[in-house]
Amino acid sequence: MAKEKEIKTKKPSERTSAFDIINYIVFIIIGLIVIIPIWKVVVDSLNKVGVYQFQIWPSQFTLDGYRTIIQTNALYRPFINSIITTLLGTFLGLVLSTLGGYVLVQFDMPGREFFAYFLMFTMIFSGGMIPEYLVMKQLGLVNNMWILVFKHGMNVYNLVLMRNFFEGIPASLFEAARIDGCSPMRIFFTIVLPLSKAALASIGLMFSVAVWNDYSTVKIYITDPNQTNFQYKLRNMIMDGDTPNTAYEVSQNTLFNAGIISAILPFMILYPFLQKYFVKGVNIGAVKE
Amino acid sequence: MAKKQVVMTSGGVEVRHKPLGLRIWNNRGYYVMFLPVVIFMLIMNYWPMLGVRYAFYDYKPVGPKVFVGFEHFVKMFGTPAFWTAFKNTLELSIIKLIITNISAVVVSIFLNEMKNLFAKKTLQTIIYLPHFMSWAVVASIFSLFLSPSSTGMVNGILFHGDTTKYIYFLASKTWWRPIFYLINIWKETGWGTIIFLATLSGINPELYEAADIDGATRMQKIRFVTLPALANTIITVLILNLAKVMNMFESVFVLYNNAVYDVSDVISTYIYRQTFAIALPNYGYSTAVGLFKSAVGCLLVLVCNWASKKTRGRGIV
Repeated sequence: MAKEKEIKTKKPSERTSAFDIINYIVFIIIGLIVIIPIWKVVVDSLNKVGVYQFQIWPSQFTLDGYRTIIQTNALYRPFINSIITTLLGTFLGLVLSTLGGYVLVQFDMPGREFFAYFLMFTMIFSGGMIPEYLVMKQLGLVNNMWILVFKHGMNVYNLVLMRNFFEGIPASLFEAARIDGCSPMRIFFTIVLPLSKAALASIGLMFSVAVWNDYSTVKIYITDPNQTNFQYKLRNMIMDGDTPNTAYEVSQNTLFNAGIISAILPFMILYPFLQKYFVKGVNIGAVKE
Repeated sequence: MAKKQVVMTSGGVEVRHKPLGLRIWNNRGYYVMFLPVVIFMLIMNYWPMLGVRYAFYDYKPVGPKVFVGFEHFVKMFGTPAFWTAFKNTLELSIIKLIITNISAVVVSIFLNEMKNLFAKKTLQTIIYLPHFMSWAVVASIFSLFLSPSSTGMVNGILFHGDTTKYIYFLASKTWWRPIFYLINIWKETGWGTIIFLATLSGINPELYEAADIDGATRMQKIRFVTLPALANTIITVLILNLAKVMNMFESVFVLYNNAVYDVSDVISTYIYRQTFAIALPNYGYSTAVGLFKSAVGCLLVLVCNWASKKTRGRGIV
């Protein structure tokens, strides 16, 4: 961000004022409000006994919560399903959005505008929950975790973001390649994709977060416990009392909190490294739409 | 389609348009590449659209489909639960939209005033975090945090462990909505600041320098330089999100329960329950409610699109 420059131009007389101190205090409070509920979960997931007080560190450390998740079929099975569907959904999503975005910047192609309207229309109108359900039923996607992959595989908004990104690639690059006899496919793989790594990372992350975090699709389409994802299992366990029989003697509170941490862990590990890609995704979307 | 266009190469040389057939042939590779997208959209998006015709049929899991005309719509408009859901959808999403954006604007203004870059970055990292948690996880976190059990932190601190006084926040008609808004603020404020911060970093520093020379205080600079600069972005964000007002679903779906249907039920959750939570669903009726929702949503998008064109010169779709 262009903040650095601005800060250097600030006059020395403007060092630390009362305003800054208040600002720092407000910030610490905001940070704590965000952190405290999360930290409470972290500590409770590692604590043998549950207490209401806020603790910085568990009083009776245990890993039984996590051990239970790893060893209980009813819990690790949904977790594996989540990983599989997230990987496949992200892959399919990236394939379709890059292909579509790339074709939409071929300004010379007859019918390009029609294709754009064909996509945009679905952003304005949709069949709705029930007609979609009935179609998926005919396709055999009810009670089948592939629904998660297909449901998220095509996202017009992400496709448009991809198109906006491709628009920024100089057209002369394409032209030069075409004159050299490159086929559209080859231009796509040898020129477009290598230039779009940052956009691929941003949009790939958006897809994977969307699939991993999906709860309602599973709730609507899936009743078979072998096909559910972890988000669904977690919420069902905590809020609908669907606790599985576990081999371990573990308190419910420890298990619940360990479940929550497991559900966010993959992205929390990646998050500090990938934050800039997440943010970039928003800004591509915000700047041009 | 065969209108005359002037086509320029990147070098600025005008080229005469080739015949349509030849252009299609030359672009055959691109059509092949677009084919998967078209097939996918046809199956996943357009095929279900044909299903809206069931809104005019009696369609039960067993038995034939019978054409009933507008009967479902008559029934729908005569059902109080439907109107509750409709009213809740508008209230919950509009109030949520306004308060999360107010908090995002306030936080981003103060973030922008933060001089210590490390502190700023750290806080940004922290407040973006909840955005990546699913609604299922957020609901789980807060149902434990607010639970009236021995481990619920909020009740424990409020009543010092006196379990007789505990409030079941998520099952209380008075508390459900405030809690819902607070959870939304907690989850989305940080992420909402990104777009405002991008605008703020684009403000010309000379404006602040000029204000300094005029002897403006920090608060005056915020009031007369920063806020006006944000006004356009705020309007844009509001318009963009207003178009999605009818879509409210998952956030309510994970947090509500049968004790608070009156204050929390929205159109989508109403459709869900009319279909999947009753013994003999009539797909026709749920489709009719869904069609009503899509129609209102469609209208909102068009209105917002028009408003967007008026205020910032380009549409939202």
